[in-house]
Amino acid sequence: MSQVSGASAPLPRRPFLPRALPYLLSLPALLVCVGILIPFGTAVWYSLERYNLSMPYLRGFIGLRNYTGLFTDPDFWNTIRVSLTYTVSTVVLELLLGLGIALLLRERSRLNNIISIALLMPLMTAPAIAALMWKLMTNPGFGVLSWLISLLGVTNFKWASSPHTAMFTVVLVDIWVYTPFMMILLLAGLRSLPQQPFEAARLDGVNAGFVFLRITLPMLTPFLFTAVLFRTLDSIQQFDIIYAMTQGGPGNSLLVFQVRAYLEFFSYTNVGRSAAILMVLWAITYVLSQVFVRQWTKLRERAHGVA
Amino acid sequence: MRDAVSTDGLLVQEMSTGFGKTQVLHGVTLGVEPGETLVLFGPSGAGKTVLLRAIAGLDPNAVGRVFIAGRDVSMVGPERRGIGVAFQNFALYPHMSAMENIASPLHARKLPEAEIAEKVGRIARLLKIDHVLAQQPRALSNGQKQRTALARALVGAPKVLLMDDPLRNVDAKLRYEMRMELPRLLRQAGAASIYVTQDYREAMALGDRIAVLIEGHIVQLDAPEQVYAAPASVAVARLFGDPPLNLLPCTPKVTGDGLTVRLFGLDLALPMAAGIAGRDALLGLRPESIGILGAPAPGAARATLTAATPLHGKVVLLLRTPEGEEILASQVGQPPETGSTVWFRPAPETALLYDAASGLLTLHAGATTEEAA
Amino acid sequence: MAWRDGVLRALRGIALTLVVIFFLFPIFWIFLMSFETNETVLRVPPTLTPHLTLENYVALLSGQLVTATGVMNITFLHNLWNSVLLSTCSVAVALILGVPAAYAFARFRFRGREDIAFTLLSFRFAPPLLVLLPLTLYFQDIGLSNTYVGLIWIYQLICLPLILWIVRGYFEDASPDIEFAYRVDGHSWWRAFTRIAIPLAGPGIAAAGLLSFIFAWNNFVFALVLASADKQPVTVGALAFVTASGIQYGIIAAAIVLSVLPTLALALYAQRWLVEGLSLGAVKG
Repeated sequence: MSQVSGASAPLPRRPFLPRALPYLLSLPALLVCVGILIPFGTAVWYSLERYNLSMPYLRGFIGLRNYTGLFTDPDFWNTIRVSLTYTVSTVVLELLLGLGIALLLRERSRLNNIISIALLMPLMTAPAIAALMWKLMTNPGFGVLSWLISLLGVTNFKWASSPHTAMFTVVLVDIWVYTPFMMILLLAGLRSLPQQPFEAARLDGVNAGFVFLRITLPMLTPFLFTAVLFRTLDSIQQFDIIYAMTQGGPGNSLLVFQVRAYLEFFSYTNVGRSAAILMVLWAITYVLSQVFVRQWTKLRERAHGVA
Repeated sequence: MRDAVSTDGLLVQEMSTGFGKTQVLHGVTLGVEPGETLVLFGPSGAGKTVLLRAIAGLDPNAVGRVFIAGRDVSMVGPERRGIGVAFQNFALYPHMSAMENIASPLHARKLPEAEIAEKVGRIARLLKIDHVLAQQPRALSNGQKQRTALARALVGAPKVLLMDDPLRNVDAKLRYEMRMELPRLLRQAGAASIYVTQDYREAMALGDRIAVLIEGHIVQLDAPEQVYAAPASVAVARLFGDPPLNLLPCTPKVTGDGLTVRLFGLDLALPMAAGIAGRDALLGLRPESIGILGAPAPGAARATLTAATPLHGKVVLLLRTPEGEEILASQVGQPPETGSTVWFRPAPETALLYDAASGLLTLHAGATTEEAA
Repeated sequence: MAWRDGVLRALRGIALTLVVIFFLFPIFWIFLMSFETNETVLRVPPTLTPHLTLENYVALLSGQLVTATGVMNITFLHNLWNSVLLSTCSVAVALILGVPAAYAFARFRFRGREDIAFTLLSFRFAPPLLVLLPLTLYFQDIGLSNTYVGLIWIYQLICLPLILWIVRGYFEDASPDIEFAYRVDGHSWWRAFTRIAIPLAGPGIAAAGLLSFIFAWNNFVFALVLASADKQPVTVGALAFVTASGIQYGIIAAAIVLSVLPTLALALYAQRWLVEGLSLGAVKG
């Protein structure tokens, strides 16, 4: 039997492969994303330039003047106003409607399951296509909705053709597409709540309104918060529905951030200003997404801890 | 602890690991002979599982050398170390049958199907699970799962066997059965085995030697009887024994050629070396070494019996002295009535003396330095 | 009181019926419309009794429309094919890139892990035009203008974050001990990854893939900005269809139906995983 003494050669370093492995595994994904960060970087740069494609000789670095120009531009404030109106309307209405439906479908029954799956269908349609559908439905000539409201005596409702009713129309489409998202999120949240507080309340004979306000809502708050954040992040960037419906018109009644940026770029060829608008939007979404990720991580831990 | 170890078995040298800023293992060194079972004992969080993972090569942050059957496998991946592992929560492959689970090490070696079937059948019969081989893990009971996991670890006749508390998630009756079967199985396997447990009785039943791991350090490496009779530190003493050791603060004094300690109004003569005299110390008295008497006797002190609890076939007595100190004693058989006055006589021959500052065991007089932890 | 319960139940039934009508009627109506000829479509009041015809679908699938003014070529089928190609390839690429990366994020602790992960997730929430508009300016320079490869690469912005975040969760939920056991048995790391880790995360990978497909298919702005007419998927193609003159509404409806049918079908098939996937794993389905 051979013997090995206690003191020996210097201790080996950790072998290479296991140490490098995580980086090797994620490298392809990272490279792809680096490729995407480059345009982001150039967008930041463009936002600091006076850059118009039709006047390339005027191109040059102007620092933050695009941004200051934006904040003194009434059109930009219109964009902010329109975006806020759109976002607040859609998120609030979808929250209320989604919560209501979730409460209606709360019990686990075969019928309820079928209904909730059926209600998912609008969410699965492309928002641009959904806008098209509603465009057809609100067509003054043959659209079924125009016909239906004419039965109620309302004729000549302009839907998306008039600046006064265009916002209403696109918000309606948004509600149609995205309320199911709120619904399934809140429904899953409702169903994941522990049963004991509700059983205790039932034993104590507490009335339903109290149960809802003091028990259900507080326990549901993390889900509500996550859902609202999620939808706000998407809604403030809405492009598909509005562009497909009216391309931002009529007038400037639907010029939300991304639509405005798109038109600045393609119609006015003003790259600098377009980039600046997008950077402002990005800043808003960055802050919101930080909050969201923190909230989402908490929810995920809770969901997977229980499961 | 031996400095030089034959390398036919397992030799771990200076194993350290951690993550982030936390270090979990601090230069752990130990050796296991082929056919020997070394129990790795310690409280939760001590690093036992971490050490097993490091030995198996599953910890990318581990630094240290590992020798298996004479080969330096420190830089080799776990798949080429020739070890078998039995995990605490079985770690069976849920999408494969029990048979395929057990056959996995043999498939890795690309043995012919017939040989695989024969080997799997043999070990399954040995572990009495041959009738469930076709089933998937989710259809097996915990005991069957644990035996499947063991079969998988043993089927490849590994040189080193690592078992991470395999009996923890198994019901009590099965645990006792396995505790009697395992030594036989391990002897047959002939591998150098490390068995992790937090249960000191399991450690004493299964181990040829016990390594006590506390906070990433090996604080004692001895035969089980030695660890029980002379735990190397206060921490070890508290872990070994149920009911736990009595630890009584005292200050030993030199008298004649020995030490005396004054406790409960008694002078106890201790057979320890005098080095600790004058310093704060803790006297360790095992509950079973305290004799209970019904009447006063020389060398006995008075106390009230405040509680008596049956435990593992003995009765644990909680005694309270007039000065308010509490001591645990244990005996077999009917205890005196609760609330009555008893006399207890501590036996200083089996007492242990610990330095209060360092927590280490003071040596017996005449002991060689080799026994120091 | 029994009657009060009865009233509540009736109210609930009415409410649910209204809700279901609201959300399903448009799909139903467009579906009906797609089987009507132009004459019946334009009739007011709209009729529900169908003179059902398949001529709209025939026209779309054959690519030819016979009108009073002559034969017109319709390229909608090509749009459909583009959608299929772009969506499946994007998801396939995203899975190949994303599943190993998700594994790395789940199993290893390495420097910068959470920062990289958050950056990748932030792609999901960042305005896409921020990346798309600069790309139009130099997509040509790098030779990717109007190529499938270029589009598939850009579509990773949609698919990768989703796959990374859903699949990472599934890998994290699976105990690493099972993979360790497989490696100790003697199998290489790669075999442990392909034979153990991936199968055990299978449902998550499938869910992530299906969801990515749906989002890629439904995407509009990416293709609008970067694809020319011959590479456009159905979302953009349908819009072009509507704004072109001389197109009949029955055919438009049929085009819409063909555009949404795949995602509706997939959603029905994958319904179990939709909730988890849509919420990025924040709630269980």
